[in-house]
Amino acid sequence: MSGVFIGSLYGLLGLGIGLSWGLLHIINLAHFGFAFLAAYLCYQLASVGGMDPLLTLALIIPLFFLLGVAVQWLLARFAVTPLNSLLATFGLTAIIEAGIQAGWTADFRKLESVYAGQKFRIGELFIPVPELLTLSLALALSFGIWAAMRYTDLGRAMRALAEDAPVAAAFGINRRAHGLMLAGICGALAGVAGVCLALSFTLTPSQIYAWVGVVFAAVMLGGLGSALGPLTAGIVIGVSEAVTMAFTSPSWAPIVSFTLLIALLLLRPGRT
Amino acid sequence: MLEVRDLRVCYGAAPALWGVSLAIHAGELVCVVGPNGAGKTTLINAVAGLQPSSAGRLTMDGRDMTAVAPHRFCSTGIAIVPEGRRLFTRMTVRENLEVGSYLRAARKERARSLEYVCTLFPPVRDKLNMAAGSLSGGQQQMVAIGRALMARPRLLLLDEPSLGLSPAMVLVMFRAICEVHAAGTAVLLVEQNVAMALDIADRAYLLEEGRIVAEGAPDDVFNSPDLRRAYLGIVAEK
Amino acid sequence: MALGVVPFLHLPAFYESFLYLVLHWIVLATSWNILSGYSGYFSFGHGAFYGTGVYTTAVLAGKYDVPFLWTLPAAALLAALIGVAIGAVVFRVRSVRGEVFALLTLAVTFVLATIVLNTPIDGGPGIYLSAVSVPALAPTASGTFYVMALILAVVTLMIARWIPQARLGVGLFAIHDDEDAAEVMGVPTYRYKLVALGISCALAGVAGGIQALFVSYVTANSTFNITVPLTVILMSVLGGTRHWAGPALGATAITLLLYASTAADQPVAGKAVSGAILLAAVLFMPNGILELLRAKFARHRLPIAMPSMPAAPQATMPASRINAGATSVTSNPQVSLGQGSAASPELPMANADQQIPAIVHVGAVLLTVRALRKSFKGVHALDGVDLDVHAGEILGLIGPNGSGKSTLINVVSGHYRADSGSVRFLGHELADLPAHRIAGAGIARTYQVPRPFPHLTVRDNVALTAMFGPARLVRSAADKVAMQWLAFTGLRSRADEMPTDLNLHQTKFLELARALASRPRLLMLDEVLSGLTPAEIDEAVALILRIRDQGTTIILVEHVMRVVTALSDRVVVLDQGRVLAHGKVSDIMARNDVAIAYLGVPHA
Repeated sequence: MSGVFIGSLYGLLGLGIGLSWGLLHIINLAHFGFAFLAAYLCYQLASVGGMDPLLTLALIIPLFFLLGVAVQWLLARFAVTPLNSLLATFGLTAIIEAGIQAGWTADFRKLESVYAGQKFRIGELFIPVPELLTLSLALALSFGIWAAMRYTDLGRAMRALAEDAPVAAAFGINRRAHGLMLAGICGALAGVAGVCLALSFTLTPSQIYAWVGVVFAAVMLGGLGSALGPLTAGIVIGVSEAVTMAFTSPSWAPIVSFTLLIALLLLRPGRT
Repeated sequence: MLEVRDLRVCYGAAPALWGVSLAIHAGELVCVVGPNGAGKTTLINAVAGLQPSSAGRLTMDGRDMTAVAPHRFCSTGIAIVPEGRRLFTRMTVRENLEVGSYLRAARKERARSLEYVCTLFPPVRDKLNMAAGSLSGGQQQMVAIGRALMARPRLLLLDEPSLGLSPAMVLVMFRAICEVHAAGTAVLLVEQNVAMALDIADRAYLLEEGRIVAEGAPDDVFNSPDLRRAYLGIVAEK
Repeated sequence: MALGVVPFLHLPAFYESFLYLVLHWIVLATSWNILSGYSGYFSFGHGAFYGTGVYTTAVLAGKYDVPFLWTLPAAALLAALIGVAIGAVVFRVRSVRGEVFALLTLAVTFVLATIVLNTPIDGGPGIYLSAVSVPALAPTASGTFYVMALILAVVTLMIARWIPQARLGVGLFAIHDDEDAAEVMGVPTYRYKLVALGISCALAGVAGGIQALFVSYVTANSTFNITVPLTVILMSVLGGTRHWAGPALGATAITLLLYASTAADQPVAGKAVSGAILLAAVLFMPNGILELLRAKFARHRLPIAMPSMPAAPQATMPASRINAGATSVTSNPQVSLGQGSAASPELPMANADQQIPAIVHVGAVLLTVRALRKSFKGVHALDGVDLDVHAGEILGLIGPNGSGKSTLINVVSGHYRADSGSVRFLGHELADLPAHRIAGAGIARTYQVPRPFPHLTVRDNVALTAMFGPARLVRSAADKVAMQWLAFTGLRSRADEMPTDLNLHQTKFLELARALASRPRLLMLDEVLSGLTPAEIDEAVALILRIRDQGTTIILVEHVMRVVTALSDRVVVLDQGRVLAHGKVSDIMARNDVAIAYLGVPHA
């Protein structure tokens, strides 16, 4: 069960990465930096400001939407290649990491919220409320974005742009505006993932990189630009990690996701 | 309706069009023929806003389009069926058609446009929920034309609609083009099947090495020595 | 070497350690650059190979008491072996390029880390090397580390400097720019990538081995993390990845910066600044400091250097220029053939090199294509093509759009693999050979849309095929030959410019010179004339006739019909992937079915 929970967090983080990579051709390492920044903000507002952690979303979502837009504006201005976007956003992540370290020090921080101790009972299962919140947010957002991609003109326009931007533009779709919008959504997703992180995990700046590998594995496994893929793949990875941990030592867990990722990258037919 | 004057297009340093002028009036079917590499696709892409021009003027209803952003061309009533179809292959047929009617004006007419496309190309109706990439070449061409029609264009640009299709399928495409034209839409047709294209056109231009070398009534263009020379390299005796 | 006396100056150990760190990062960044910078395969897995070195030394010296210096060759060997083993799998997959390769190598790092952590190699607690004695290469221990790192850095830089001048480096640069074209020009891309990866890994392995003793306590988490690959990328990108000294420059700058910020008690600011530097470097100078300086320098120097060059303006005196070129070229084959057969024993057809003039008479069959088929997504681009090409002829290959002409060229040159059928050249089957072997056998081509290697000079573009084609010249000879062919095509004065500075006409002639420099027996020209002005076309026609007169057989794909008429001895008409007709131009074009293929049937 904890596998499902951690997997849904992989999926939530992967959702924004995958959309950005698949639809904007930007591999955004700074997504992790944003998520941690949001987690720290949530921690600050909730622990020091006394806000309800969920209420911080009202502040964090618009703020990180704007951050996402700003980064996309910068990257689009210089027309970076996917590889260079990876490098540039790594630089950005280092800045964010340093910023967090300067603001909150490198010490461990743990948000003590009202939800921390609560458990939700389903039959014989007791599920901690933060885990349940993460799972339901991941589910809601993934399905919401999936539906938006399929059933709204905006979503279809995004997919069309991703596949053949010039032809999409010939049918009246504004490439730049849609790119900024999508990047904003990805930024907001990082914000939400950050709040979930803050609810369940002890925070420290260097942890930013700990998530990179496994989340990328979820993104690649789920399919670039897919809305439901990262969540499904994330849960598969989370559960398989939990099973691996149950049978061997916990430290063997990463090998599952990374072996999967390698196999996938090698066997994946066709282009990026 | 559409006027092109002294249009020059370059790829890097290489000119592909050397000052092309042509005009299309409302409701007219104009055909541009010419051998490969003459610049036909470059011309049609420039008219659709897919290819920026380096000199010359492009006006639609008297409005200068030279400095207009690519995504604004569609709203003036221009829609393109690009060379090689270029469908959104990972989306369904229905979604492709819906992207065609993305702009507000076209969106209002979406249901009616969809019905029109399905009537024009009956096979499309059964494939609406299939991935566009899984269709055969002919069906994809139908969807590509359908996608452009969904935009409710006043000027339809068609780039090699018969390319890679069987003779029977080519006939289907040409019938559909005639029907669209008969309904009052102006058409700019770029075609390698010279005889068939000239057969249905109101007027024709012959493009060779980036320049217009002949224009006029289709029969005159077809029988002109320029055409034989451009395509076959010899002057056919009549 | 003044740097060698540093350990004997009795500086505080602190400085020696700092200098050691600078050298350590120079080695890591430079070794990374040998694969990733030169060939464009950005690896995020350098930490894995570095870590292999760290753990090889740690285990051998720390657990089995092997003398420290003996562990270093083992570290190099093991790192190289693991690297090559991974490369042997990864480089076989065509889709693994760019960002996919980066992620894949990163994943390899974490897999390796997990294995190390969970097996007796480490087991979790880490390995102490404090009991291992430091060899006395200098008066102090820190001095010894400095000396070892210095030796390694010098060796690394020498290798990094040697490669760009060698065959390997030219090949790697070509892979960087356009791997598929490089393969078609004769570069054994798979082998070269493996060799570069092996060298890169071995050097990183040694650096890791030394570092293991330097820190004297190693753990899996501190070794196999994302910091090492990202730092070396940062350093190399900052300094410039196309120059051997770029990564060293970047490594020095970044190490100094981080040191300065630590000394100033602002390590956090140092991290932020290095992040900002990477961001700014990627956005504003993706080619690095050295390229930036070089561009500035070149701009200052160019106006002075230009007049002294033997300028040969395009349009003037073409006759005398071509004559001069022709004489130099006729003397050229002997040179290239002699060296070619001696230098390339591995090529199955190398011996044929000398004998062609003897066995293949003008008019004999050079290339035989039988029942060749190739489909793309169910479309039959080639649907059973049969044709013969005779030695010494110009064969015009024509047909309407989409009839399969370019596909045929792509299959014969090895760019695509045929679905079925055979292509025999001088009696040898080509259909299953990798493209670089086909080039080595003496088939060269041009691309319809020119594909010069954009980061190589015009001269290097041409020299490349002289080095990798059937002639297999050494660099200096190839440069000479390149200049002869550039003279032949009228590009001599542009030799030191970049291909992007040329106009279309010149770029097409560059393609031609590049194809010719390999001394091909069969030259396939894919629409070399499209987009040229009539005057340029006339010039090109004269050039093509001249090429044929020197004994090269030519397949000419062309749409400008007057050119086809003027040049072709014979034409083959393709239509819908099949041969519709073949014969003399005038006969063929008068045929009704050919006219229909071109002009279509009037609507019945």
